[in-house]
Amino acid sequence: MKNLKYSEILKANRELGKSLGGSKFEITILSNIITSQLNDILEYCLRKRNINAYVKSGDYDNIVQDSEKFKNSNLVIIFWELANIIDGLQYIANIMSNGEIESLLSKVKSNIDFVLTNLKNTSLVLFNKFSSLIFNYENIKSNNFDKIFQNLNKYLEQKVQSNTIFIDIDKLISKVSIEKSVDFRYFYSSKALYTIEFYKNYAEYIKPIILSANGKTKKAIIFDCDNTLWKGIVGEDGFDGIEMSSKTQNGVVFEEVQHLALELNKRGILLGICSKNNPQDVDKVISNHPDMKIKDEHLTIKKVNWNDKVSNLKGMANELNIGLDSIVFVEDSSFEVNFIKEYLPQITIFQVPEKLSEYPRMLREHINLFYNISESKEDLKKAEMYKQQAKREHEKSRFSNLDDYLKSLELKLTIYINYNLLIPRISQLTQKTNQFNLTTKRYTESDIKIFVNSNKYRVFAFNVSDKFGDYGITGLSIVKLDNEIKSADIDTFLMSCRVIGRNVEFSFLDFIINCLKDLGIISLSSCYIKSLKNEQVANFYEKNGFELIKSFDNEKSYRLRLEKYKSKNLEYIGVEIGR
Amino acid sequence: MEDKIKEVMLSVFGVEISEIDDNTSSDTLEVWDSLRHMNLIVALEEEFGIEFNDEEIIEMTDYKLIKAIIQEKKC
Repeated sequence: MKNLKYSEILKANRELGKSLGGSKFEITILSNIITSQLNDILEYCLRKRNINAYVKSGDYDNIVQDSEKFKNSNLVIIFWELANIIDGLQYIANIMSNGEIESLLSKVKSNIDFVLTNLKNTSLVLFNKFSSLIFNYENIKSNNFDKIFQNLNKYLEQKVQSNTIFIDIDKLISKVSIEKSVDFRYFYSSKALYTIEFYKNYAEYIKPIILSANGKTKKAIIFDCDNTLWKGIVGEDGFDGIEMSSKTQNGVVFEEVQHLALELNKRGILLGICSKNNPQDVDKVISNHPDMKIKDEHLTIKKVNWNDKVSNLKGMANELNIGLDSIVFVEDSSFEVNFIKEYLPQITIFQVPEKLSEYPRMLREHINLFYNISESKEDLKKAEMYKQQAKREHEKSRFSNLDDYLKSLELKLTIYINYNLLIPRISQLTQKTNQFNLTTKRYTESDIKIFVNSNKYRVFAFNVSDKFGDYGITGLSIVKLDNEIKSADIDTFLMSCRVIGRNVEFSFLDFIINCLKDLGIISLSSCYIKSLKNEQVANFYEKNGFELIKSFDNEKSYRLRLEKYKSKNLEYIGVEIGR
Repeated sequence: MEDKIKEVMLSVFGVEISEIDDNTSSDTLEVWDSLRHMNLIVALEEEFGIEFNDEEIIEMTDYKLIKAIIQEKKC
């Protein structure tokens, strides 16, 4: 998008709008200045990533009332421009008395309260922090205008709501530069302040948040080795010839890069290596090189061999059970970069720049792709879990049939019902689970909060453990009840890919159905909505005795009379209720 | 240049090519409102690498005037 002109974006966006299907992602921008040029730019930026975004503006300078009117949008963005809180505040503020400023502040704060209260159940809210930068950047001494913005931002900081993210637009204005961010001609003639350049950067800046809310977060970062994690080629320069330490001029950049990778790993992002090298050379560096910061304990997957990288990367996606589109690959060679771009366009590929001093900064820009709207404790444990997984795979090879293997695992399900403490993880499961997901509905924390606290819903979440360790909260079903007609509907049924193949879904379904029977429910409906990735559960309900009622192109709906349900009663899976 | 102006107008207004001719103006084209006028100016400035002053921006409400003002600027 960087290199497209505004008119080109408008045109391309219209084309994309025609070709893109799927459910709409509705965004409303509330503002006290004119920001309509952002609409198409943001739409385009998201549609490029297959999000069927529709962006509209609320009425000019009508943030408070419109926050009620548009609270059901998937996303509400708020541009509250300090200079236009009252006409000309940027110059009036400095001749205002303290009393006048106080009363202005309290009025604005009560408006902020109104807006945030109206939007408290909206899926996602992005609220730009107040800024005085554009009008005040040259002042040595801070003035009233500065004080107002600082005071309001402090107030915002106390207003923590799980669905609301405050955007620090000063960072963006600094990146774009003040001169290129604003066009005062339009500010004075039409109350439009920002430029196309600014809006492009704004859209890119918030994109990771929206991608994450739509289940499109990156999950793994894979590095080549030579000239990517260290300077030099280990096969040629040797163990002692490669550099990755701040003690050497060439190595300093790589030390920083390795730390960036470790930081991601700490946040639960999977780390891997895919390199054409002799495996023993690379292993020796990882185990014994004093400057190598990334160790085996951080690496979830390694493919060091002489096979082509396309096959290696495909294999890695398979083994990790994640989509190619959740991988970022870092590579220095143009040959490999082009080869992978050609055959695996789904992978995000980042080429190490020729100017090495730019490498850490550019990598940092890519790190935003891993933005995770609901980072949870599960993520932090993930690397450990994948290690346990390796042990299980090893154990599996000892058994000739799957049932014997499953029996040996001592599987245990702990099921939590409408459990408040799990809201962040539950929301995250809806956003990240793609394969074993019957309806692929994405929910934010505030959506889940509503379900969990409502009589009309039962939110079942399970934890699985076995003799090797704990898989964490990895399964979810949201059931909507209609007690009057004694029926219920399965809105969501999903399971994280790390617990697929253990038959726990059957015990889970047994449990849910028993629970519904206890509530007096007689009839249960459900549906399967086809997505690009959930083919493997296309016949899940058929297999469990549900009766197919209707079948459209991408959707099948079912019904089940609960008295007819045959429990699987798998005796090798223990089930208990979590408290 | 004329083609380029029309192309920008098409993109900004999102209309069919048949709806734009030498007589198109903000009076004949319903979607040409004040917001889109601003979008048009921004897009033309970017396309031709020029900047219009306030007076010109107000004047440029039909195709012929737009063409004349850009021609003048480019010389």
